[in-house]
Amino acid sequence: MTVIDWFALRTSLKRAAPALALYTILLILYFAVPGKSQLIAQILFYAVLGQAFNIFMGMTGYVDFGYVAFLAAGAYGFSIAILLLSGVGGGWMFIPLGLLIAAIIAASLAGLVGAIALRLRGAYFAIATIGVNEGLRYLVEGLNILGGSIGLYIVKDMKELVGREGYQLAATTLADMLMFLLAGVAVLTTSLILSTRMGFALQAIREDEDAARALGINVTKYKIAAFMISGVLGGALGALNWALKGGVVEPAQVFLILYTVEAIVIVMLGGAGTLLGPIFGALIYIGLNFTSNVYIAPVLESAGIKATGLHLIILAPILLAVIIAAPQGLVGAIRSRAPSRLREIVV
Amino acid sequence: MEVGQIFATILYGTLIGVIYGVATVGLNVIFGVLRIVNVGHGAFIMVGAYTTLVLYGSLGVPPPITIAASILLGAVLGLITYYLVIKHLVDAPELATLIATFAIGILLQETVKAIYGSDTRGFSWNLGFAEVLNVNIVYSRLAAALLGLLLLIALYALIYRTKLGLAMRAVVQDKEGAMVVGINVDRIYALSYTLGIMITVASGSVLAIYLQSGIHPYMGEIYTLKGFVIAVMGGLGSIIGAFVAGVLFGLFENASYLILSQIEGIQPLVLTRSIAFLLLLTILLLKPTGLFRR
Repeated sequence: MTVIDWFALRTSLKRAAPALALYTILLILYFAVPGKSQLIAQILFYAVLGQAFNIFMGMTGYVDFGYVAFLAAGAYGFSIAILLLSGVGGGWMFIPLGLLIAAIIAASLAGLVGAIALRLRGAYFAIATIGVNEGLRYLVEGLNILGGSIGLYIVKDMKELVGREGYQLAATTLADMLMFLLAGVAVLTTSLILSTRMGFALQAIREDEDAARALGINVTKYKIAAFMISGVLGGALGALNWALKGGVVEPAQVFLILYTVEAIVIVMLGGAGTLLGPIFGALIYIGLNFTSNVYIAPVLESAGIKATGLHLIILAPILLAVIIAAPQGLVGAIRSRAPSRLREIVV
Repeated sequence: MEVGQIFATILYGTLIGVIYGVATVGLNVIFGVLRIVNVGHGAFIMVGAYTTLVLYGSLGVPPPITIAASILLGAVLGLITYYLVIKHLVDAPELATLIATFAIGILLQETVKAIYGSDTRGFSWNLGFAEVLNVNIVYSRLAAALLGLLLLIALYALIYRTKLGLAMRAVVQDKEGAMVVGINVDRIYALSYTLGIMITVASGSVLAIYLQSGIHPYMGEIYTLKGFVIAVMGGLGSIIGAFVAGVLFGLFENASYLILSQIEGIQPLVLTRSIAFLLLLTILLLKPTGLFRR
């Protein structure tokens, strides 16, 4: 039986403090700077995406190319809850119930894929995940379930549940606040994992899986646990971002591979396996995005290159450069060079 | 179901299966020698398809000749990506090469999209057809499968009948041992990777000749998935395995389409894409080392 490990709890809170402080600053800015709340919400989305993705990729060194499928699973899960309640009533219950179903579906997906592919080594896992989002998308479209290729529109149902004004609040400020809450949960989960046996096991797996196995670590169990936690957080993010905030869940949107690429870029830019990495990664990413939209896109456009999808045409070389030149990312680089006091903070 | 439908399923399943084999074997060559999984695999197939589309569609170059152009382009792309990216990551953690090859694939897709747009395109190269059992046997498809088979035979001969192939196989067997006997392992890596890319781009041309439609910048994604299914089925790294598994997968895919199309209210063509994924999970669950190994 497990007694609460107060030492681990205290260490993890200490570890989480800088990241939580940064999110608090974002929260203050969200309310303090007029007209910029959507920019903050966007940074937040990417930071949470990175934070959730990081729990698996950063800690295990495995990469999930189908990660966006968890966001999609969450978005569909949330919508299913609303469709279940529609006509029955239940008012605000739709948010907790929606998040619960989103989490259950995302966890089941992670459990299923993980149980099959995480028994195997990294290459096979990557191979298994590359088809997850496409496979699920075509399953939804091909079987004509959950709205098929058209998708689910749930704005009307949400308005029926909590009224027009209630919905206005839910889809804007409330959704963003829940996103902040999710960011906090993701940070605390990460730091708790880092401070417990699981974190040490994952670190051992990342460094040398065979050695970890030889030491008696149940590598498959820990990998699946990290995968499921990462998947559930991703599911909650998808539920908040598309279902609650957007009110629409379209397969063409929620299965978009771009989000997986963005998650990889953010984690790699910031520093895989670190707590602060995803926040800095998201900030750099938004900054790059802004720069490319304002300065690079017009240049390319005047050269006759269509600027749509420009996003990825710039992201890919950046990703390559980071992997070759700075595989540790920003926070990783600071950590390996900074004096030890600072090093403690950015862990 | 009539006899004709079943005949068509077997015939076209086999023909596309041969092409699947060619379209997968590059993945196996690269994994076999460098132990790198090329996640951007499908994008190189797409580049080959565009090569044929552009050379035949705009310049009128006969499609079989465009395969030669694809082989050349594959050599150029292979060498560039190897020396700019892969070379630096050969000893890096697996994560690095996975993400790097993924990024290369995306870069290719977006570059083609920037140049040719994202419209789905096609061309028409008609050689006529014969009718057997009410089934049209389209000659251009036969030709495509035949050209694919020739490519496979050429690759097989290169690996099992030449000195370069011998050196490649030596590196696969024992990297240090190969170094000791004077094989330049770095050069073998570069050549094997480039060879894998060359045959993959060439397979895109063969595929384009077979399909003659559905060519767009993101068409490669589904072939990455199918390639992985076939590669895992045949055993990662095995050339003969890729061929046999390719044909099996082609037959399986066409048969599942035939069966699914009997069911009302679903979209069989879309579903066959999911089947590739479900099949992959099943194989990974049951026999991840490939169906043909002990």
